[in-house]
Order: sequence, then structure tokens, then C-alpha cells
Amino acid sequence: MSSKVTNWLLFLATVAVVVLLAMLGSNISDRKSESQFAYQPQVKIQNLDPRNQVWGENFPRQYQSFLETKEQDFSSKYNGNQLRDALEESPELVVLWAGYGFSKDYNQPRGHGYAMDDITNTLRTGGPTEPGTGPMPATCWTCKSPDVPRLMNEIGIAEFYKGKWFDKGAEIHNPIGCADCHDNKTMALKITRPALIEAFESMGKDINDASHQEMRSLVCAQCHVEYYFNKKTPVEGVPYLTFPWKDGLTVDDAEKYYDDINFSDWTHSLSKTPMLKAQHPGYEIFQQGIHAKRGVSCADCHMPYKTEGGQKFTDHHIQSPLANPANSCQVCHREEEKELIANVYSNQDKIKEGAKRLEKLLVRAHVEAKKAWDLGATEKQMEPILKNIRHAQWRWDYAVASHGGSFHAPVEVGRIVNTGTDRAQEARIKLARLLADLGYDKEVPYPDIDTKAKAQKYIGLDMDKLEAEKANFKKTIVPEWLEAAKKREAAMGIQTISSK
Amino acid sequence: MMFKKLIPPKQWQPVVFALMGAIVGLTVYIAYNARVTSYLSDDPETCVNCHVMTPQFESWKHSSHREVATCNDCHVPHDNFVSKYAFKAKDGLYHASMYTLHMEPQVIKMHQPGRETVQANCVRCHGDQVMDPKDESLVTSYVHNRTDRACWECHREIPHGRVKSLSSVGYQIQTLPVQGEKKDVIPSWLEAALKNKN
Repeated sequence: MSSKVTNWLLFLATVAVVVLLAMLGSNISDRKSESQFAYQPQVKIQNLDPRNQVWGENFPRQYQSFLETKEQDFSSKYNGNQLRDALEESPELVVLWAGYGFSKDYNQPRGHGYAMDDITNTLRTGGPTEPGTGPMPATCWTCKSPDVPRLMNEIGIAEFYKGKWFDKGAEIHNPIGCADCHDNKTMALKITRPALIEAFESMGKDINDASHQEMRSLVCAQCHVEYYFNKKTPVEGVPYLTFPWKDGLTVDDAEKYYDDINFSDWTHSLSKTPMLKAQHPGYEIFQQGIHAKRGVSCADCHMPYKTEGGQKFTDHHIQSPLANPANSCQVCHREEEKELIANVYSNQDKIKEGAKRLEKLLVRAHVEAKKAWDLGATEKQMEPILKNIRHAQWRWDYAVASHGGSFHAPVEVGRIVNTGTDRAQEARIKLARLLADLGYDKEVPYPDIDTKAKAQKYIGLDMDKLEAEKANFKKTIVPEWLEAAKKREAAMGIQTISSK
Repeated sequence: MMFKKLIPPKQWQPVVFALMGAIVGLTVYIAYNARVTSYLSDDPETCVNCHVMTPQFESWKHSSHREVATCNDCHVPHDNFVSKYAFKAKDGLYHASMYTLHMEPQVIKMHQPGRETVQANCVRCHGDQVMDPKDESLVTSYVHNRTDRACWECHREIPHGRVKSLSSVGYQIQTLPVQGEKKDVIPSWLEAALKNKN
């Protein structure tokens, strides 16, 4: 072969190699740009976007399961996800909360999807007609919606808490959802409610030190905790949402905290006791129980992993684990479902037995105290008695308001009911002596309160008026709020990945 | 002297050198673009250089195995260094060719060598759970009897789940492991708001 031919062959071979290499190079680049689109989300989620459906575009599985929180198909022995009238089931509660909003209306909780409906419908928020009216402060919105962090960011924290519930109504629209717990870019868990961060500071802890597993409980602890509205600090005259955690997380710690600052939620209209209202201390009670001590988080049981297609993901249908023992309990406990549920019920039965009894003792204590006042008892004589009643009902409330308490920490909740019973009877012994001193030595009759209506009449509530106000509010004000929300959200727009 | 024959005549030499330079340059760039060096590591993110592996990567990342095992812990042999890299090269070149030619199937399945490798690796870590040293010394063909069934005949969900098609993932924000990154629990807007709340 002449060198000419060889050279040309060499040339052609080189051309072929370079062409193939170039094709490979462009193939690699093609495939790399393909992966910019394959499996990639469709929507750019803006910081603090309150619209759950927008997040849902990128996370359909999580969003679809979140929508299931609107289901009302489950009922366990004592709870479930249906609207149940707790006052109808236990009319005693009406008397225990005489002079306080909870005597008007109190229902068993429904799913997160109903957060907005339920706070709008309850008689506790009343029927305000214009800014500055109504029984409740703006602070009541804090746990209801991802619009809350959005608004706090826009106007500031104290400004958010300021004023009446009515004043912020037009700004709050979406039910509890994505932006309450997640970062819009990384989806990492985030704390969006200042009260929890401040509570950690008050205990001398830094919430930034929390592990991922702890965060799977702490995002819940933003709301499922005992709290009060502090009208003195940090801003005078603003009902600032505060958790009483400075001295610790137990019922006794919080009781001491409130006694030290001389705080009361309201004065009982029958017994004139400076009362405390316990609000669902779910996180605190859970911390006292064995599951928390073994490092289990809220999400492990209330949002267990679920598989769909080839994908394992966290089930965002937040609900009672009793509705789903296969994914919640049986991941760790290899017992029959029947057996596991029976174990939960037996704890609940035993604690309910004591709590029910305490409920009735507290009704008696309030009624007997009223009798003493009527017979001319002095403030000085009543003071130790009222202190006992305050502590007794605080303990009863703490035990029952935390709906899962009998499971979360049965021994602790049993202890709380016990110590509550002790203080209730302590009050009644003192009352028996005082009534005898005042010349009354018979049993004070138990009021006729076997229905909600009778009990509400007994404490002097005008229910017809309350219901009429609420109906009017729903007819006139609520549509305006919805209109405002629609306008605001239309202006937010949707940014897709490909839009500039 | 074969080598001598390859040297081109004088007048062609500059051209040949230029062309060889072009080829080498192009190859270097392609190697860089394809992140070739990453294939020497054990980092699972290497395996999602090709996005068809996203279903496998995501399902592993949501499994308990992510805490203790990388892709290579299960999918390449660990009996010695040579067989590890030989297996890697064989598998890797096969995968790369299929992917380049757009011939990947909708459902990617392991072939026999891969199955044997994975099974060996299950036993490598979980041997103590399936074998009792005492029985091993007493019973003939004990080891074989205890380890010849593929573990995933029963443990079907481990770790990739049962559905493995390319379309099984849906949207995924490729959140890659954030180890060592500063975790920020309080969003910056709230940090600022807390500072000037009064």
C-alpha cells in the first residue's frame, strides 16, 4: 500500500473517531439537560406561599394524602375525625367553664383540613360585625393557617397578635398546610411560629440544636401545646402568644408558673374562682411517656410512611393511629391489631373513669362555693378553697384536653387526675366546714344538668342570641373574607419552572 | 518494528499531531462532561448521573438502608479490590452503552451476575441473622441451605419497593443528603421579626 493511501485512510479513520466522539459528547449533554426536566417539579413555590394547592402541584402524593384530613369516616371509642358535640356528651363541662367561651360551644376535633371552617363556625368566636368587635383576640388565628407566617412576615409578630379576631379575618384563608412546617426551596422542616422558639429560649435551649427526628415532633409542638396570651410582655396591651415552659414541661411546672405571675384565664361565674384553662398540652404530655423516651416522634405514628408505586413517602393524612395500626403500631409491635387497640382502650377506660368522677366533683365544688358566697362567706374565708378549685380543675382540664394523653403517657395522666381529685376533695372538705360555720349543714343539691341545653340555661347563657349573631356573621362577613382572599391569591399568580 | 510503520511521513506529521491533539482534547472534555472520575468513588450520587436511576436512588434514600449502605455496598462485589473494579467497569460500560443508545427498558431488572452480587452482599452484612455458627459445624450444606434463596423473595420491599418502572417516581426535587450543611430551623424572615418585635 502506498503511503498516500495509508495517509488518506488514517485521515478518514480520524474523521470517523472525531465524529463519533462529538456525537457522544452531545449525547451526554442531551441526557444531562433531559435530567433538568425528568422528575423535576413544575412550579416554583414562592417563599411562604400559603396556597396548599400550589405546593401540591410539585408534591401530588403528599398533597392528596393531606386532602384526606377532610375525611369524616373514622370513629374510635372516644374520638375520631367527626364533628361531635362534646358539651352534649358531657353537659358537666358547661358548668365547669361557666363564664368562659368553652361553655358556649365545644366540639371534638376534626382534621387539619377543617381548621378554617371550625374556627369560623364555633360560637366561641362569636358574631363580630366590624373591626374591634367580638370576644376573641387576633391571636386565635395563630394556629389555623399558613397565611399566618405570611402575614407575620408582612406586618410583624406583635402587630399580628394585636387587635381582635375579626380584624385579621380577611387575611387568613387557607387551612393548616404546607408552609406551616416546610421550607419552600428545600422542603426541610421549619418552625414558623415564634412562640415555640421563644419558649425554647425561656428554658435556656436553642431550637436550632434539634435533630431531624425531634423536628418531626417540634413542628407539631408549634400548636399542640398548652399556651396563654400574655397581655403585659413583651408588648403592653397585646395578647402575645406564650407557652408556660420556663420552669419545665410538667403540669406542676406550668401551674407554678401561672401562680407566680398571678395569671387567670377567666373568673368562674358561679364560684368566682380565678380559673386556668388548659389547652391541649399534647406535646408536653407526650414527652412524659415511654414512646417519647424511646425517641419516637409524632410523625412516626400520626404520619407513618406509606408506599405508592415505587415510592415511599410520609403520609400527610394526619390522623389517629388507631385508624391505621398496620402502618403506625405494627411497624414496631408485632401483635394483633385487635390486641393493640384493646391495649389503648383499656388505658383510656381507666383514666376516663377517674376523670369522669373528677368532673362531677368539680361541678359540686363550684356549686358549693356559690352557696357559700350566697350565705355571706368572706374573700378571706374563700381564698384557700378557690385555690384548691383552681388547681383541681386545671389538672382535670390538662388531663382531658390533651386528647391522646391517656395513650401518650398513661401513668402521668393518671397521676394528674389523682392529684386533681385530691385537690377537689380538699376544697369540698373546707367548704363543708365553712358551710357549717355559716349555718348550713345539708348536702348542696347537684344541679339538674343532664342535657347541654339545661346546663347552659343553668349558667345563664342566652344561646338563641349567640346563634343568631353567628348566623348573621356567616351570612354577611364570611363572604367578604372569602372575596378578599380570592382577590389576594389571584394576584399572587403561579410561577412555573419554565417561566422567567 | 510495527511502531515505526505508524510514524507518518514528514510532510504529514504536523497534520497528524494536530488531529491527535483534537482527539485527545475532545476526549478530555467528554470525560469531564460525563463526570468520569466520579465513577471511581462509592458516592450514591454518582449513580444518579443518569436520571433513569432516580427511582432507585429515591427509594433507597427513603429507606433505612441509606443510613448504613451505599449503592456499591450492595451492587458491587466486596471479596477483593480487583473483582470490585472489574465488575464496576463491566456493569458501567454496559449501562453507559444502553443509555447512550436510548435502549433502557421501562422496567430495569438485575441480570444474573448482579443478583448473585447483591445476594452475596445481603449475607455479608446479615450473615449473623441467617446462620448459626454452631449449626454450621454440625449440619452438612448448612450454609448453602440458609443462603441460597434470594433474600428478596420474601423481603420484597427492601429497599427499592416493588414497583421499579422509570415512571414510578413522579416529581422529585432532588434533595441530596445535607450532611454537614448548616441546618436552619428558624427561617430568616422569622429570625429578623423576632429581633425587632418590640
